[in-house]
Parts: sequence; structure tokens; C-alpha cells
Amino acid sequence: MGRHDRYDAIIAGAGHNGLTTACYLARAGLRVLVVEKNDWIGGAAVSRSLHEGWTYSNCSYVCSLLRREIIRDLELPRFGLQVIPYEGGATFTRDGDYFAYYSDHDALRREMARHSAADVDAYARFSQAVMRQCRFIRPFLLRNAPDPTSLAPRDLGEMLFLVKRAHGLGRRELGETLRFWTMSIGDFLDEHFESDLIKAHLAGSGIIGTGLGVYSPGTAYVLLHHYMGDVDGTIGAWGFARGGMGAVSNALGASFEAAGGTIVTGSGVERFVVQGGRVTGVVLENGDSYDAPVVGSNMDVKRTFLKHTDRAALPDDFVRAVERFKIRGSSGKLNIALDALPEIPAAPKGAPFLRGDLHCSTSLAELERAYDDWKEGRWSADPYFDMLIPSQIDPTMAPPGRHMMTVFVQYAPYDLDADGVRSGENWTDAARQAFADCVFDKIEQAMPDIRRHVLHAEIRTPRDIEREVGLTEGNIFQGELTFDQLLFNRPVPGYAKYATPIRGLYLTGSTTHPGGGVMAAPGANAAREILRGLGKANRMPDHAA
Amino acid sequence: MAATVPLGLVPTPLYSRLDALSRAKAWTGWAGYISPVVLDTAEFEYFAIRNQATLFDVSPMHKYRITGPDAEAVVNRLVTRDVRRIGDGRVGYAMWCDEAGMLIDDGTIFRFSAQDFRLCCQEPMSGWLRDACWGFDVALEDESDTTAGIALQGPTSFSLLAEAGLGAAAMLKPFDMAVIEPGLLISRTGFTGDLGYELWCDRDRVAALWDRLWAAGAQWGVRAVGAEALNLCRIEAGFIAAGVDFQPVHGALRLHRGRSPLELGFGKLVHFDKGHFNGRRALLRQHETGCAHHLRRIDIAGFKPAQGALIYHRKKKEVGHVTSGVWSPTTKRNIALAEFRAPFGKDITDDLWVEIYVSQEGQWDRRIVPLAIVDAPFFRHARARATPPGPF
Amino acid sequence: MPRDAFDVVLLGGGHNGLSAAITLARKGRSVCVLERGDRTGGMARSTQIALGVEAPEVAHLLYNLGPRVARELGVADLLETPPLPTVSLAPDGRHVVIEGDAARFADGTAHPDARAFTELSARLRRFAGILARLSLKPPPELDGGLTDMATLGELAGLARLGIDLKRLGRRELREFLRIVLGNAADLVLDEMPDGPLAGALCADAVRGNHVGPRSPGTVFNLMYRLGNGGAPRLPRGGMGALGEALERAARAAGADIRTGCEVARIMVADDRVTGVELRGGAVIAARAVLSSAGPLQTMVMAGVGHFDIEPLRRLRNLRCKGTVAKVNLLLRGAPAVTGLPDDMAPARLLVAPSVQAVERAFNPVKYDELPVAPVLEAVLHPPAGDGRCVLSVNVQHIPHTPAGGWDDAARDGLTGRTVAQLAAHMPGLAALVETAQLLTPADIEDRFGAPGGHWHHGEMGIDQILTLRPANGLAGYRLGVRGLYLCGAATHPGGDVTGLPGRNAARQLLGDGII
Repeated sequence: MGRHDRYDAIIAGAGHNGLTTACYLARAGLRVLVVEKNDWIGGAAVSRSLHEGWTYSNCSYVCSLLRREIIRDLELPRFGLQVIPYEGGATFTRDGDYFAYYSDHDALRREMARHSAADVDAYARFSQAVMRQCRFIRPFLLRNAPDPTSLAPRDLGEMLFLVKRAHGLGRRELGETLRFWTMSIGDFLDEHFESDLIKAHLAGSGIIGTGLGVYSPGTAYVLLHHYMGDVDGTIGAWGFARGGMGAVSNALGASFEAAGGTIVTGSGVERFVVQGGRVTGVVLENGDSYDAPVVGSNMDVKRTFLKHTDRAALPDDFVRAVERFKIRGSSGKLNIALDALPEIPAAPKGAPFLRGDLHCSTSLAELERAYDDWKEGRWSADPYFDMLIPSQIDPTMAPPGRHMMTVFVQYAPYDLDADGVRSGENWTDAARQAFADCVFDKIEQAMPDIRRHVLHAEIRTPRDIEREVGLTEGNIFQGELTFDQLLFNRPVPGYAKYATPIRGLYLTGSTTHPGGGVMAAPGANAAREILRGLGKANRMPDHAA
Repeated sequence: MAATVPLGLVPTPLYSRLDALSRAKAWTGWAGYISPVVLDTAEFEYFAIRNQATLFDVSPMHKYRITGPDAEAVVNRLVTRDVRRIGDGRVGYAMWCDEAGMLIDDGTIFRFSAQDFRLCCQEPMSGWLRDACWGFDVALEDESDTTAGIALQGPTSFSLLAEAGLGAAAMLKPFDMAVIEPGLLISRTGFTGDLGYELWCDRDRVAALWDRLWAAGAQWGVRAVGAEALNLCRIEAGFIAAGVDFQPVHGALRLHRGRSPLELGFGKLVHFDKGHFNGRRALLRQHETGCAHHLRRIDIAGFKPAQGALIYHRKKKEVGHVTSGVWSPTTKRNIALAEFRAPFGKDITDDLWVEIYVSQEGQWDRRIVPLAIVDAPFFRHARARATPPGPF
Repeated sequence: MPRDAFDVVLLGGGHNGLSAAITLARKGRSVCVLERGDRTGGMARSTQIALGVEAPEVAHLLYNLGPRVARELGVADLLETPPLPTVSLAPDGRHVVIEGDAARFADGTAHPDARAFTELSARLRRFAGILARLSLKPPPELDGGLTDMATLGELAGLARLGIDLKRLGRRELREFLRIVLGNAADLVLDEMPDGPLAGALCADAVRGNHVGPRSPGTVFNLMYRLGNGGAPRLPRGGMGALGEALERAARAAGADIRTGCEVARIMVADDRVTGVELRGGAVIAARAVLSSAGPLQTMVMAGVGHFDIEPLRRLRNLRCKGTVAKVNLLLRGAPAVTGLPDDMAPARLLVAPSVQAVERAFNPVKYDELPVAPVLEAVLHPPAGDGRCVLSVNVQHIPHTPAGGWDDAARDGLTGRTVAQLAAHMPGLAALVETAQLLTPADIEDRFGAPGGHWHHGEMGIDQILTLRPANGLAGYRLGVRGLYLCGAATHPGGDVTGLPGRNAARQLLGDGII
């Protein structure tokens, strides 16, 4: 018989959302336990040392979406979180040119003009349009999604808030908002720009993490999802968490412990214990068990209910809805230790944009073809990647003079095709290596001598991410960000407010509204609903101001 | 290595001249170029504008050339005033709006002929003009980087021109322009409300032009000035500035922050009878139903400039705010441009008060002072319109 | 010569132009329809493929003309034909027959997914029926923001839709809201394994549009198609008979219909429309002009200077990439379909063996390339007296113009590929072909003025429907210039042979009190 204890609330999974929920609950005076299957905390916001002397942000790798309200509420800077904005980025072409995205406004205009005179003003119009959408959506992130099927006063209140915001837009902008939410990023960019290269550079944010192509309707929203964050109020800016993304989780963990919370690592939840339609606690894989009237699951909805909950305790309709919730692995990752900064012959040495996100995809068609490969169960022969060398800015990531490079790769399928059969089993070591080689081949477009500098490379396929982090199919958002799975549909229509059919059991992860990214909004919202259920609603800070 | 663009601000062709004169080393960015805020002292630069002759580098101004058989049709559809009523060889102040009648920007239109126009403005406009030209038989050229300009302003500016051998400009009436020498276009225009000219030429020739004016100006008190002194003058003259007195609607995140020419008090520049122009239907509706705001010139009691101050009716109800406010050294009045929520500022003009916060050596004081609405520009002088101009 | 003057001039004698004409003429307005070609009916007209043999030029089936509108337009009797079954041809010969909400194998045996299909199909039809209410009136324009009286009126209309949706019950309403913006592939494959049945549903979900089954928005496309039940019919007398009947009805109501009349210019004075000028210089005066040409094309005809810059830009960005080619084959005799009883031959035959196959047929068009195995929808028309018959085929997804252009090799290649694909199920088909006619999307644009050669004059994407059709700010059929209206498929509710855009535009014009 393992250990046994009793708490006011248990959170299953020490990802950033789970920890966020735990923090808010602990600060509301609850006795809270977080259980985590890995020996470390952080879920997909981790810093790991897999090569001596190097720190890898080996899942999520940049920070912007983390809500500033939450950073402040939970005093994350006091617990070590420092977010440093990075400067710009670039896309390199096959013929030795590049498009540089400068944070310097004037340089950016000149660079746009270098590629297309028509695109200079187009960019101003494009960013204005995106910023208007950001302004519209940001107030919804820390609220429940409006539910048009409900007449409950609270739901009507949320609907009214939506109607008021929509009214505030005016007719023209409301129309543009409807369009923006439903169109493809490819079409949106085609409307604004002439240069293929500029379009390709901007399009990445529309597909990162999704099983959609740049011309799939709905991807403009995905771009918005990547733009609606901020670093210190600069909307759309991204930064590095000093010390890697684990710094976010570690700060959350420290904030939680400072509020009296307990974290137990090394054994995950084997099952949620349900009695008479109510959760009573959890049993861990190592046999330990803990009781609590409230349990939050930071796992995605499929994992929570299809793997760790007794199906008999769930309504059939609900199970069916969970089964058809789409969580698709579409991305992989390389984390690389470099003995020196690779040569980038196209760019001036030390150019500021090299400290930002680097890419080698040069047209929307190229990106769309990358998606076509994925639909067929292959990794993209000509992949998109989002590549950064954070050690240029953050001295803690690699020994002096050496560098750490993170390469987020799209697309890579979870079920790999081999001779017409798709299966995760097909991700053999040879397949993983071939995938990495394919990525390195393309990196050479920008950095011809990259392979010479590699000291160590961690190759992560969707399957690896699932195995280690526990994200179904390795999907970084715990569920596709398509309209059928957003707002009141996320994760299951009728269960979009963090509560589940099992009383006391809540979802706290990105699988809920407002979705993925290191945002912590789902976790904070879940905490609000949990506290409300306990009659402690007014303990949450008011973010409306 | 591929080509790289320069980072940050870049020099205009006149930078070396300005840098040599700059004692304040106070620069700002204007359309990506280095532009002086103050070269020496804003106060003395201001008085030079009102008393002598001054030079200001207007090269960063955006300049677009629209040429071709449909040029007049394009420009007339673009702006709210009827450019057919601007004669060839004349310059006109104009505004252009989006489909909702909200101001995109204002600027000057140089009409060389019905087939040849130049548009000068503050905001980059090439994308909008490209759209405006679609479907018409015209060519659009961005001359911003190739054409440079010097504003010569002040009561002795004509004397300076004559001294420089450019006395042929004597026949220019306000808003006239002419090629006075090959490659040198002079327009009798400016942003100060005083006598003044703007000189336009190729970028490569502007430094020589500057030197020529500088040499000729020695006995006419010539002085180079920066943006701060000019701003004082433009408020005295009652001119509005983009991003200050109105929010250019293309740059607005909140679209309802846009303002129409009618709201800004430029109804005279909206010619409904000229055929369709962009935003006409929306402006016509507003013309019929009334404006939501009024931008007015105001004269404020007391001596403390009221930049950014809130305005109240009966000292209680907030009805507007000051968009530009300065103490006017020439007219000795506390002047401002202010935006009112209708009907205030137009139908209700009495009992309006400005709330000004004043810091006197660390002690903050709140003052509620009355204001009066003023119709005419604050600064007006006959010398600004005399043709031929007087020597001073 | 008497002055030519009418209350309304209509540009284009397609089915939408004609339904607008009927609606206006019945209200006593003097109406003149100007058609560039020598036949009216638009994409619903027939063409002579050989002496004495007519073939449907583009549209070859009717599935979205509602009974109410058909009655209004006086063509209801044409619809009194039995619906055609759909046969989804299977590579292994186990073809699937779909009739209404029922599915079975062609040999009469039960299909394992029949129940799932019935449930899904019935649900979609129910949802579609409710959505279809929206198509009978102009879309909400939201002109004055959300609190304006006009908007409140529009919202009241939407509220009725809301009540209908509420009546579905909360569970179904949630299901509706979940799927309405989703993609067809997931919707279908959540209910059944991939195969000819799933393929058939997805082929219908992408038909006419520049999307694949995985593209979000395709569930809406499928529902749009099912708005009036979706049962495919050959009107009595063939497709061409519909155009003729509409023309007869319009003439009977007093409309003046002129073919071979190309409008060179729409005349505008003082921000109002005054008439049109024909190629050749003749002028027809009118107080209103309704155009079933593309919206941008209409603005160009009136002179772009009469319009604001923003709507022009929006229309230049109208998504309208046509993806359907039409192949009409004149056959020496009726072909047999392997594995299909002879009495099933007059069915709607689909070559869409799987969802994946439909997606693969879509992929190349994104790059202006031709698919290896296009998705086909074929209808074998009743034979003429001499035994010859027409097999008309919609071929998808075909680019407007492939990268190398439409040279003879590309055209022959496409026809050949289409025939070969059908021949897999119709042995000996190639030898039966007497004449083959191909209309590429580029041809369709040329002949019918459809922007981009798009069946629907504009993609039926979620970003281009209702308040956003054809573009943000232009949903009310009006183009800004007083008296100038759009009435073609680029307006609400959109494409297919529905008569609705024309009818709705006419009613909007009457409601606006201009004539």
C-alpha cells in the first residue's frame, strides 16, 4: 500500500496551466497538491539539460502569450521569471538572399521596399488589421466563452459582453472581424502583399501547431492566436524566458509552494477516482492515492477521459464527443547544441534579426505543399521551421561562445506512413534520423556549415512529444484550433466551462478555452470556476480593469 | 552577402548642413529621416520665423506624382475638394477620406496640368494611391526619396530669394507655383501662416540650393529652424496636424476615432457637387444628420498652455479636450485647437471651461479657466498675402 | 425611332437575371433583359452538341431550386420529375446507391454504414432546411451597428432563425454550432470509414468550390447544397427546358428580352444610374440597372470612379477561382456500367471513391496543376431517337488556367483523363465517343462572364457568405450608385440554380422605392 493523504484540491499534471490553477487555488486558501508523472515539472514549458552545459527549451521555446494579468497576480517575476523580448527574424532564400523582419520600424519599411515597393504600405495595413483583431479578442481570454445555447444569467452576461464588444467595432469592422475569423492566412496575405517571400515569412504563425495548411480557412485565426500576446504591452511581440521556458514553470512552481502548495513528481495519475458521479481523488501509477473533493486535470480531454477515467462514469454522448475531438500531431522539434554560431553567409555578421526567428520557407505554395505531404502521412519533404538561437541573448542557455538552437518543424505526422500503412510504430530510429536529416538539409539553405557545428541534437517527433510530455499525438495546443473546437465548442459543446460531467473534476489545460500556447489563461479560468463552485468566487482578482 | 538596408534614421541630403548648425543636437525621426526638433533654441527660431527668414528641411515629406490622361479624374475622386477649380500652376490644400468619410490625411496638391499632379503629405500614401489609381489610365510615382525640399518662411523670405537671384518668384501669389530656374520649382506655400515659399528640386541639387539661400540670407537674418518652432507657428496659423489634432483613420486601431473634414471644420473643402469622391456618400449623410464632434480654435484665459487639457461645460460636464495648445508669443494669447463633442463647440459655445494642471516648482495646482471660441486664424498678417511681397 | 426606356434594365439573361425580371415584371414594372449570347438561361442553358442533339452546357442537374421559388417563378411543373438516385462508383465494383437518406449497395445488399449515413444525412438536411430560411431574404447588413433600428429588424429576422434552431433542442443546437463551420472530412469520417459512401458526401461538399474535404467550411457548403433537400433532378425536358420556361414566364409577365445584346457601359449621372449603352452605341434608359455580371465587372462597366476605393479593393480580392470543368460526351449508344443494373444507368454517377481521393483531386489545383484522378459527377441523359446519347460530366478540381495554359494537349489530356476514368466503370466507353466538348473554367468565364470561371461567381466560403457576400459592406445588392444593383450568384445567398439572388435583388429594389 502506497502513500495516502487528503487535500482540498488535486491537480493532475504540473504543466504551466495546471500550476496556474494550483497557484490560484492555494492563494485562495486551499490545501492543494500537484502530481506530476515526470521527475520534473513544467509539462511542455520546460528547460532540460540533455547535453552537458546546455539548457534546452525542448518543447515550447518562446514566450508572449502568457497573460500579463497572471504574471502579476502570481508574482512570477518575484519567483524568478524574466522575459526578454527578441528582435525580429528572417527568412532565407535558396539563392542567398533573405527577408529580414526588423523591429526597427524604418529599417523594416526599407527592407519591405527592397523586396516589393507595394508591400511597404501593405504591411502597415496588415498589422493594423491584425492589431484591431487582437484588441477585440484579448478581453475574452480571461473569461468564459459565451455560450449561445444557454439562457443562464451568467452565460447571457457573457453573450452580452460579446455583443457589446462587437457593437463597439461598428459595422465595417464587424464584417472584417467575421472575415478574419473564417478565412485562410494565405488568402489574407494574398490580399495584402505581392512578395512571395514576405508572405511566406508572415504565414508561419498561421499554421504553427495545427493540422491545417496556409490556405485552409480558419488559419488567419491561428495567426491571431500567435499575435494576441505581448511582452510588456507590446502586442504581438515575443520573447525568451531567461533560463529557458522552464523558467515559467519554475516560477509558477515556486509561487505555488510559497502559497503553501505541495508538488509530488515521479508518478502520474493512473486513474481519477469517481464515486456516485463525483470525483473523490486520484490513484497514481506507483500506487499512492490522494483524496480531494476537487480535482483538476491538466491533461487534454482525450487523455483525461479515455485513458484515466472509468468510462462507466461518463455519459455516452460525452465519450463520443471526446472521441471525435481532434488532437493532431503536426509538428516536431530539433534541439541542438552548437560549438559555435554557424555562418550565415547571406546576412551581415551580428545583424539584429539573426537574434530572432529564422526560416527557410519562401512561398505560400511551398508551405501548402508541406501540408499536402503531412495529409499523406509523411513529414514535409520541404518543411517549414521556426528556428532560434536563444543563447545569443540568454547567457544561461549554453557555455560561453557556444550556442543552443531550437528548431520547431512543421509538418510531421503522428502516424507515419510506411508502405501505405500509417502508424506511430513507423517512427523508427532510422525514420527519426531521416526526418532530422531532411530538416538539416533545409537549414543549410541559410547555414551551409550547420552540420559541422552540431555537438548534440535531440530529435523530437510528435510521438516523442506525446511519450514524454503526455500531449496526445504531440499536439502543442491540446486540440486543434479550428472553429468547431474553439470558444463554446472547446473541448466539448456544453462543457466549455472547465467543469465536466463528473462533479468536482475540472479540466485546466489548453484543451479548454481559450486554447493552447503558454498562455496560462485556461488554468486561471479553471481556477475561477473551481473557486466559484466552492463559493469563493470573489477571491479572484478582477481583470476587467 | 545579400544587400542590406540601413538601420534606424538616415540623413537627408541636407543633414551635413543641419548638423553643422545644430547646437541643441535634438533630432527626431521623420519618415525614417533625421530631422531637427531644435537646432539652437526653439524660442529664437520661432521669432526668426515671425521676424526674419528661416529654412527648414522638408525633404522627408511624402511626395507622389500622378500623371496620365485620367490624372484629374483620379485626384478628384481621391480628395474632397474639386481639383478642377484649382488652376494649372496652382497648389491647393486638400483632404482625403476613407469610405466612411473619415480623414486619411491632408496635404497639398500641386496641379501642373490636368494630366499631371503632385501630392505632398505627412503619412505614407503609396498603398492608398495605388488603390485609388486602379482602373484608371494613370501612372503613379513615389517621388519622396528623389525630390527634396526646403521651406523658406518669414517676412524677409522674398528679399532673401531676390538676393539669391530668384526674384522671378515675385509674381507668385499665395498658392502659385512656378519653375523659376530649370530644375527648381518654387511654390508660395508653407505651414506658418506668414510670407513664405517652398523650394523643390532633385535630391542631388538641394545642398547647393541650401548654400545659395544661406549665403543670400546673411543680411536678411536667415536662420535654420526645427520642428518645435514650426509647430508653434502652425498652431498660430490654425493648421491641423495629423496624429495630433486628428487621428489618421488608417492608423487607428479604434475606427471610431476617425474624424471627418466636416467635423474638423473644413466643410468648405468638401465639394458635394463635383461628382463622386471617396467617402462622398458617407459625408453627405453626415452633412444631413450632423457631426458628432467639432474641432475649433479656442482662446483660453490665463497664460498657461493647455496641451491635453479636458474641457467642461458649466465646469461639470466633460465635453472635449485640447488637441494642440500653446502660448502664442506674437498674438500674446493663450491659444489652442480643441475637439468638442457635439453639440458643444458649435451650438453650445458658452460656459465652457478648460482644466489646466500647473506645476510650480513641484507644487501642482489645478485651474479652471474659461475659453472663447475663435473663428479666424490666430495669426494673420497682410504681408503674407501681398503680391509682389514687400521687402520685410 | 422611339426612345428605348424602361423602369429596369437587367444585365444578363441567366436564370438569376430572368428570375429578377419575372419578379419585377409581375409587379408591373417595365423590364428589359439584355443577354450577350443567343440563348438565355445562363449556366442552366443547353447547347447543341450535334445536329439535333442538345446537351446541358454547364449545370446538368437541379437540386437547389426550392418549391416556393419555383412556384413564384412559374416553373414548378418542371420539377415534377422523380429525383435521381446517386451512385458512388467503387473501384471494386461494389457501388453504393444513395436515395434520399438511404444508402445500399447496388446489388441490393445492405451497406454496413447505412444507419450512420441515414442519421448524418437526415441531420444535415434538417439543419440545412433551417439555414435555407436565410436565403429567402436579403442578408443582414448590420449597417448602423447593432443598436440601429434597421439592424434590429434584421436581427429580428435572425431571431426567427434562432427560434427554429432552438426548436431543434439544445443537444441538436449544440451539434449544429459545432459542425456548421467545420470540415466535411472530419464530419463524415467520424461516422463511417473512408470509402465510396464517405467519398460521395465529401465530393458534394466541395463541388463547385476551391476547397477539399479537409478545408474548414465544407460542412456549410454541403448544407447549402441540401437547403432544399438536395435531391438531384433532371427537370422535365432537360436542363435547357428550365431556362426556356423562365424566359417564357418573364415574357408572359411583360418583360422585353433581347439576346445578342452586349452592354458596353452602364450610364451614371449625378450618382444615379440612368441606363445602359450597348455595344454599337444604342442607349436604353432606365431608372434602375440590375447586373448579374460579376460585381467588379459591373463596377468597371459603370466606371470605377463612381465607387469608393475600398469596395473596389474588396472586390478585386473576391475569391473566385473556378475549379469545375464540364465535359459533354456524345455517345453512339448508352454505355453499360459494370456492376450496375441497367435501370440504374440514368442515375447521378459519382467517381469519388474515397475522401482521400477527393482531397487528392483537390491538391493540384492549389498550384494551377491538373489532378491525376479528378472527381467526376456524370449524368447519362435519355437517348435521342437514333440511340445516341449525351453523357455530361462535371470534372473537379480543374484550375482556371493550368501553369502551361490551355493548349490542345492540355485540353485533350483532360478530356482523355475524364473518359479513361469513366471507362474503368464503363468498358468500351472511349469507342462510343462521337464528339467530346470541354468547357474549362477559363471557357466558363469567357462564355458566362462568371468571375474566375467560378460556378458561384465567388467562392462560397464562410468569409464570403451572408453579410460578407459578395464583400463586406456590399451585402444589400446595392452598389452605392442609386439604382444600380447586383443580382447574380456573387450575391446572397450565392450559387447554384436557385433563382434566389435575382429574386431577392428584385425585391430589394422594389423595397428601396427607387422605381
